[in-house]
Amino acid sequence: MSVRAPYLTRGRLVATLALLAVLLAVSIAAAVFVGPAPASLARALGPDGASTPDRAILFGTRLPRVLLGAVVGASLSTAGAALQGILGNPLACPHVLGISAGAAVAAAIALVAAGDTMSPLLPLAAFAGALVATAIVGFGARAHGRTTAHAILLFGVVFNAVAAALLMLIEALASYRQVHGILFWMMGTLSTQSWVVVAAVALYAAVGLVWLLRHAHHLNLLAAGDEDAARLGVDVERARLAVFAAAALLTAASVAVAGMIGFVGLVVPHLLRLVLGPDERLLLPASFLAGAAFLVWADALARTVLGPAELPVGVVTALTGGPFFLYLLRRSLARVLP
Amino acid sequence: MTFPPRRPGAVVLVLALAVAGAACGDRLPPAAGGPPARVVSLAPSVTEIVFALGAGDRLVGVCGECDHPPEAARLPRVGGWVVPSVEAVLAARPDVVFAVPSPGNHEAVLALERAGTRVEVVHDRVLADLWDAVRRIAAVLGVPARGEQLGADLARRLDEVHARVAGLPAPRVLVVVGHDPLIVVGGGTLQDELVRLAGGVNVAADAGTAWPALPLEVVVARAPDVIVDAAMGTDAGGRRLFARLTTVPAVRDGRVVALRDDAFLRAGPRVPDAAAELAELLHPGLARTRDAG
Repeated sequence: MSVRAPYLTRGRLVATLALLAVLLAVSIAAAVFVGPAPASLARALGPDGASTPDRAILFGTRLPRVLLGAVVGASLSTAGAALQGILGNPLACPHVLGISAGAAVAAAIALVAAGDTMSPLLPLAAFAGALVATAIVGFGARAHGRTTAHAILLFGVVFNAVAAALLMLIEALASYRQVHGILFWMMGTLSTQSWVVVAAVALYAAVGLVWLLRHAHHLNLLAAGDEDAARLGVDVERARLAVFAAAALLTAASVAVAGMIGFVGLVVPHLLRLVLGPDERLLLPASFLAGAAFLVWADALARTVLGPAELPVGVVTALTGGPFFLYLLRRSLARVLP
Repeated sequence: MTFPPRRPGAVVLVLALAVAGAACGDRLPPAAGGPPARVVSLAPSVTEIVFALGAGDRLVGVCGECDHPPEAARLPRVGGWVVPSVEAVLAARPDVVFAVPSPGNHEAVLALERAGTRVEVVHDRVLADLWDAVRRIAAVLGVPARGEQLGADLARRLDEVHARVAGLPAPRVLVVVGHDPLIVVGGGTLQDELVRLAGGVNVAADAGTAWPALPLEVVVARAPDVIVDAAMGTDAGGRRLFARLTTVPAVRDGRVVALRDDAFLRAGPRVPDAAAELAELLHPGLARTRDAG
């Protein structure tokens, strides 16, 4: 594993992304065959396939779930990469800046009001909550039309704490069964969603990635500091706002349908930064692909390890990603400290 | 079947009396020798049992979720089932407090005992707990005969429900208690016992935990004949969740049925009603047969 990243060439960019894309495609194809219910592809595609449980299992319930995992993983990981880049802080991730907490507060209110975790109000409220939280943090940390990475981070962390307290207030007032619903929602699950939902989140993921890629060059320059970036022609405030908004959209769409799945947005971009170097033009799309593959595998584990029952996928991402991340940190620490 | 056998029941009764007596002798001066006159209940199931024993007039405080029978709703509240208020309980000056272990009442129970209040802990997870709780509470309240009568009556009514479904084909049943994520009734629960009593087979009984979360594909694979939706929320939510699973017999035949009666969720004196309701959902012809016969 090389910490010294070579200069980014077109060849390296294409080769790395092609490799990750193949990895993701293989992961998705393989994960469709991993699950607690036995199913045969031959029967599903056979002459009477349409009415078989095999078809319903493989293509009706498992494939949408695998694809949802891929787009949610891609979104969270890309959002994390962008936030870490723009804030120049390795601890930045969608869940630290209060974006998800805003979604959680709104979702909890919707859950208490609608009384059903299946209510279509829930993802809409979560989405709106994430955007409101982003606006509060983004504009709150601004004065005289300017902001600093520090201010955003501090505002985000404190907003997060306030939102967490609000959530506890709602839980204290809600009935026991509603609290249960809120807690399970918070843990994050990739339950099977309709194709429409999968497509909607995929659309947000794609738009978010393209939007961020257009600012990848600015992100690179911002890493040199606000003044230097401005001298090199970057409209610092605009760029920061645009990247922040894109990261918020990616997070909002993911959290709305899958709850708070932790560690993907923190660990994957971090790991890639260690391996691939800090160039955002490579880091952003690489995070997109690797985050997707990571969550696909984490969810495959979540739905099989206790079979037929499932684990919350957030538990799996934290328990697999966390220790691995610590191990990598220790290795790079050993190299940096003489 | 899991009804209380008479003889071991008597042993339990004697034991319960002995334990209750010992507890009195050890820690408290008996309140003027008589049975407790002021009673606080910290769980809905206990409140229902106290009323069923005809001692509802002795209740001076109940938990926030204690909503049945209707008279219970008018009683002073002493905090929630999850976290009771120690101060509110003490202010009610109870001779005895009945508690069921909840996720958050352990500290409160210890605090009440430190304050010198007599606390009796019973359980309400399965039918065996219900028999035990009825006898214990009746013994503590000084009405052991009424406890025996209530227990026998409940057991007889459950027997009757089971007798009505005897010989009928047993449908495969999935009982849902949460929509997203999908949480269902596993083995070792009151609801699992009620499904069996009502003449069904719980397809998630082997899932490993009491309340397993299931991936939707497992519902397809287990192919239940009936899906009983006892989740918080709306019937529409449940229908939307399963609508696409057209290979599942319950979905194909329109047998995703709602059961929103909280009697189904508490090991209290209304379990025979819950069992009867469930039996009618699992065996649609049953209600008519009963009316005809």
